Amino acid sequence: MNQDEFGFRVRQALNDGAERLDYRTVLRLEQARSRALARQRRTGPATVRLPALQLATAGAPPVDEGRGAWGWVRGAGLVAPLVALAIGFVAISHWQEELEIKRLAALDFAVLLDEGPLEAYADRVFSVLLQDEQQAER
Amino acid sequence: MATREELSEFLAGVERRAFKQAVFAVRDESHALDIVQDAMMKIAENYGDRPAAELPPLFTRILQNAIHDFFRRSKVRSTWVTLFSSLTPENEPDADPLETLEASGDTRTESTETSYEREQVVAIIEEEVARLPARQREAFLLRYWEDLDTAETAAAMGCSEGSVKTHCSRATHALAKALRERGITL
Repeated sequence: MNQDEFGFRVRQALNDGAERLDYRTVLRLEQARSRALARQRRTGPATVRLPALQLATAGAPPVDEGRGAWGWVRGAGLVAPLVALAIGFVAISHWQEELEIKRLAALDFAVLLDEGPLEAYADRVFSVLLQDEQQAER
Repeated sequence: MATREELSEFLAGVERRAFKQAVFAVRDESHALDIVQDAMMKIAENYGDRPAAELPPLFTRILQNAIHDFFRRSKVRSTWVTLFSSLTPENEPDADPLETLEASGDTRTESTETSYEREQVVAIIEEEVARLPARQREAFLLRYWEDLDTAETAAAMGCSEGSVKTHCSRATHALAKALRERGITL
């Protein structure tokens, strides 16, 4: 018997042995397979971490495809920073507006009460303000 | 790109042989299962987008690497175990011997004498395959069980084709001799 023939016969025996695995081993192999399939990599670019802004584009690939029931959490994780950023912009804008109103009110009071310091009239912004007010009165 | 079904079908087709190969190498079913699971995870995570035709050689390589990694980790672990052996009990205090007995039990229902004899022969062949030197066994199994050609086997093992031929030849002779001594002629 040559080497290949011997190898073939051993192979048959080994295949026979592999078919006789006990059910617990078979079950664990099936579970391992299921876990592996749940983590299967999709096409290269689709599973690469996408910039969050690309989520809004129409052609965005389904990043959570095949990720199981927790796919929506991953999606939410990408959208949440965008929402937080938008809220932050609105809050900062509102805060700046309030500050400007307070500053102008204080200036108006000072002018009305004639408490404005002389330096204020030399301030470029203040002179522009006065010009604007004069133009508005006309 | 391999679809989920293709990958599933591929893994289902190779998982038993992969498990047996790991058992032959590490001689422990639990560790062998971990090794196969690691290999499955790696191929799914890292190469799940490859065409189905590319999966067999990739999986073979990943499995062999996983087995080698196991031995590397075992070597490191055994160093620490030797250092701290006096601190660890030899046996788990709550280990149940019945669990081992049950685990090694056979759930098969075959009862004919022929199938029993066949089973014994397969068990002896598996024992002798497991006793082969690691590189010889690896080459023999890849070449004759995984049905890789010499070049593919060499690529999977990271050696030359000449080495593969030498390993296979030695494995075949050693295995044939061992089986003959145990009264088995294939």
